Amino acid sequence: MTTVRVIRTVLVLAGLGLASIGALRLFDLGWANFVAAAVWLGAGVVLHDAVIAPLTILIALGLARVLGARLSGALMVGLIVIGTVSIAAIPVLGRFGARLDNPSLLPRNYVAGWLVFVAVVLVVAIVAGRWAQREKGHSGGADPRR
Amino acid sequence: MVRRTREGGGLVIPTPGDFTSRLRSPAVAARVGVLLAISFCLCLVTGLISHEAQSADPVFVLPTSPVWLYRLNQGLHVTSGIAAVPLLLVKLWSVFPKLFARPPKKVKELIVEALERGSIAALVSTSIFMLASGLANAAQWYPWDFRFRATHYAIAWIAVGSMIIHIAIKLPIIADVLRADIDSDTHDRETSKPSLLTRRNLVGGAALASAVAVVASAGSSVPWLRKVSVFGVRDGGPAGIPINKSARAANVVASALSDDYRLQVQYLDQSVEFSRKQLLDLPQHNYELPVACVEGWSASGLWTGIRMSDLLDEVGAPRGHDVRIESLQASGHYRVTTLPAHFAEDDQALLALSLNGEPLSLDHGYPCRLMVPNRPGVLQTKWVGRIEVVTT
Repeated sequence: MTTVRVIRTVLVLAGLGLASIGALRLFDLGWANFVAAAVWLGAGVVLHDAVIAPLTILIALGLARVLGARLSGALMVGLIVIGTVSIAAIPVLGRFGARLDNPSLLPRNYVAGWLVFVAVVLVVAIVAGRWAQREKGHSGGADPRR
Repeated sequence: MVRRTREGGGLVIPTPGDFTSRLRSPAVAARVGVLLAISFCLCLVTGLISHEAQSADPVFVLPTSPVWLYRLNQGLHVTSGIAAVPLLLVKLWSVFPKLFARPPKKVKELIVEALERGSIAALVSTSIFMLASGLANAAQWYPWDFRFRATHYAIAWIAVGSMIIHIAIKLPIIADVLRADIDSDTHDRETSKPSLLTRRNLVGGAALASAVAVVASAGSSVPWLRKVSVFGVRDGGPAGIPINKSARAANVVASALSDDYRLQVQYLDQSVEFSRKQLLDLPQHNYELPVACVEGWSASGLWTGIRMSDLLDEVGAPRGHDVRIESLQASGHYRVTTLPAHFAEDDQALLALSLNGEPLSLDHGYPCRLMVPNRPGVLQTKWVGRIEVVTT
């Protein structure tokens, strides 16, 4: 066996070992706990593959159609930042865990914060896009768009 | 982009060839994958330390100094998880066409493919699970029926195991694309077409999104980021320090405010009782100590109170014993906690009576609470009613 093959085999076995430890621990927590966790394990994948991924494609297609040549690389990066950070912020945006007896928990107006965040990213992305385009114009380079 | 319809029309499951963006390539997946693996490893190591710190029967215990150790660990744990969210989303986006690959016809290839897909299914589902459950927990949102801590811990092992298997399976292609230029098309689908965004900018964009997610939330543990962290989960609170559980939620208001309140300190048959006034008459010490919650937020305050060691001297307890701390709470997971001996003996281990110059507020644990360096917030028992030296 080559060295690479040995490394890969060892890694697969180590991975199987660690995953088995986790699976056993999960079963140890009881059947009801396992089922509740399994539902969430499956739901996460379905949510991504059947909702988030197709929605991303539709949004990208829509934006390409609406914005046309105004859609710059910088703006696309900005939209990636907005999209992914917004998903990470869902638990606070909904303030699902807020409690009346604890004002120090989830204390902000998260929707207002989100609007400011989106506005800042969009402004930076648009300015950066314009700036990049002007630079390109000055250097006389060809437009790399297809 | 995707060519959605084919000749004949109707709903057709796409094939990998229908995805034409050259950004969806192993060259991007491997690079974002490296960043993701780094954040996962950081999350794992800090998670294991955190798990031990909170364990009733730990394999190893944290030292008592420097006092910011647990705070740093927990901040890194939650922050590395948040940093992983944009990376995971971009990584999944870059490999999405693979989901639609048709199974091979030969039996042997089919088995290999099934194993590989199984490991990927485990990796993707556990990764999403870990990040989603962790994010929700940091915002005290529990929309599930499983036990968070034990389940989050068990599934972490499955996530790491399947990540290692995934890396092992993909090792040749990872090595190949990382050695080659990012724009090399050796491993691309034949249908790949140029796109507006460069691959370099996509990888950079994923890293940028990750950094922005961190800055937007880290203010709950990094004070100077408080103003810009629009998604921070904690701020304010009595005497400027946030709380996790109020006295009302713990159902201790009546017993904590009662005139009959006495702190009982016991060692074997030696037992002494103190009213809050008597506690205030004992020698007081001030220490700047952070409250650091398992959920990642932390805040530093000036705590004033009696040294645990002084209190144990009152009942003539020798050194070297663990100490059991009981709250006035009638119920709750952490009503009774055990403070390992080396924490109890530390000079900075306090039974705190005031915070930032104000008498301890009810929500911070009035009449008195435990405040010890490098202990998770849930183990810094509030509304302490009884302290007993463990002798068995």
